Amino acid sequence: MRVEYINPFVEAAYNILSEVLGTEIIRGNLFLKSSSRSVMGVAAIVGLAGEVEGRVLFDMKKDTALKIASVMNMEELTQIDDLVKATITELANMITAQAVTKLHELGFRFDLTPPALITGENMEVSDQEVEALIVPMECEHGNLEINVAIRERG
Amino acid sequence: MATETTKNEQKEAQGNAKKDNLQNIDYKMISFTLAGKDYGINILRVKEIRKAGNFTFVPNTPAFVLGVDNLRGDIIPIIDLRIMFNLPAPKKAENELENIIILRLDELIIGIVVDTIEKVVGINSSTIQPPHPIFGDINIKYISGVVENQGKLYILLDANRIFEQEKDEPSSTSPAASMDEPEEEKPHLSQDVAPKTNEEEININFILETLATFANFHVTKLNERWIVDHYSDWQKKRSQSKKSVQLESKEDAEALLQGFFSRFNNQVWPPSYAHGLVDKLDIQGNGPIQVWNPGCGSGVETYSLLMALKTKFPKRQIKVFANDNDLLSISNAPNLSLPDPSGYPEWADYVVKGKNGYSLKTELKNLILFEFHDIAHMNPFYGLDLIVARDVLSFLKESQQVKVMEDFHEKLKKGGSLVLGDHEVAVDYSLWNIIEEDGYRLFRKN
Repeated sequence: MRVEYINPFVEAAYNILSEVLGTEIIRGNLFLKSSSRSVMGVAAIVGLAGEVEGRVLFDMKKDTALKIASVMNMEELTQIDDLVKATITELANMITAQAVTKLHELGFRFDLTPPALITGENMEVSDQEVEALIVPMECEHGNLEINVAIRERG
Repeated sequence: MATETTKNEQKEAQGNAKKDNLQNIDYKMISFTLAGKDYGINILRVKEIRKAGNFTFVPNTPAFVLGVDNLRGDIIPIIDLRIMFNLPAPKKAENELENIIILRLDELIIGIVVDTIEKVVGINSSTIQPPHPIFGDINIKYISGVVENQGKLYILLDANRIFEQEKDEPSSTSPAASMDEPEEEKPHLSQDVAPKTNEEEININFILETLATFANFHVTKLNERWIVDHYSDWQKKRSQSKKSVQLESKEDAEALLQGFFSRFNNQVWPPSYAHGLVDKLDIQGNGPIQVWNPGCGSGVETYSLLMALKTKFPKRQIKVFANDNDLLSISNAPNLSLPDPSGYPEWADYVVKGKNGYSLKTELKNLILFEFHDIAHMNPFYGLDLIVARDVLSFLKESQQVKVMEDFHEKLKKGGSLVLGDHEVAVDYSLWNIIEEDGYRLFRKN
């Protein structure tokens, strides 16, 4: 993945998460992954198009999603209902949008697709043709993984 | 390779080691575990360590004989020490591989299956204590002693006794094994460079393993020539500074590898070197020139290469894909500052002075795409004219080296060139035409 793309995603994820959760966020070590990777339970996916093609996936466990959605809505949520789904989708949208804005300032033109939310057990995501950058984030509500797979349009 | 180890040679080897080593380590053993306990076996009895599975069952043998295995052409019996010693042996899944220590006694070779293989432990033989008759787990006749090292007690097994138990079983056939087949992920030297004496071979083999551990450097046919050529220098240097020839830390591994790296590693290439390299290329047509520079590190190599290409082909469009899996180096690569170009007036046209020192002109920088990428993953390039991968493959495991070399071949155009490190060679000669001139070595795709 082009090096200029890395920081905007890491920074956007860090900024947005610290802002909406109001808690300390710890960034883990970034790494690359090319084979399939298991999905923890709740995954929001945002597609990217334009000069590049690819997608960003936000992945977390169910209870992490519930806790994050509870904090963001300022009420206790106990089930993955429409409100929780909408909240997590919105979080993914906010992070990707901020990253794309930063990239725009650097001169890269990206478009976003509407986010989709996938929930379930025992899922994996695989990208045959492009390696994914994994950005692990930790907070008191649990771990969150941002999985960015983008390539230049050839 | 399966040379006879006589008792005399053994004594001599131990005697030499004593002189070389202040810590008085004269006995080395491979440590391994069985049912959670630590055991050791004399390193001079160990031919190699490997992982294997799916042995061929031999009927009418004791339960501890798992079967026979094909070790690069030699059929060797495999016995499970855990079953032999009545210890619990975890059931393995069908395709799961077992940890095997291959033992050698004169012409006989057998493989023993153990739980985990730990490391090489150096001890002083006078600290070995005789086994006590009440040792429970393992029949005392297999134990040659007990030794303490760094807070752990190791039970030393007597390899000869294991062979005695084993001698009625099918034994190895001809010792003239073909050593050409690459072994799974275990460093070893191929026949054509293997040293003469047993002791040296064992020492080198352990250096190879520790190099992989400490420096992630994998010795294979690609680079083994350099290691063998430099072994005696290294031995001399170490005995002068009264240190063990074996690598004990990351620093030792780095010290050994000093000198392995190619010329002008991590610095601006002098124009004479860069132009000489570009002159050797066979670039035809007038389409864009596509270059891949994996393992570009800080990016200075990519910049040097691009400046030379731009000088030679001022009118052609050039695209360089540079990548590295070190996040810190590659993140700084697009904004790398270059040293004062006054040392190299030929490069001066390509460099501008900014607030933070000198850097490459933007229009040139835009020709390079720096990517955070692991070469062992999918490589999305094709139709390349040149691949510069200096000292990159040596830091991949053997299976990955093979895969990446195939990738290199596939991604190049016909007539495209591959540049490896100064001490690395392409192994499959049928695929490459080697051009060796004026101190450059290029591999051209046939």
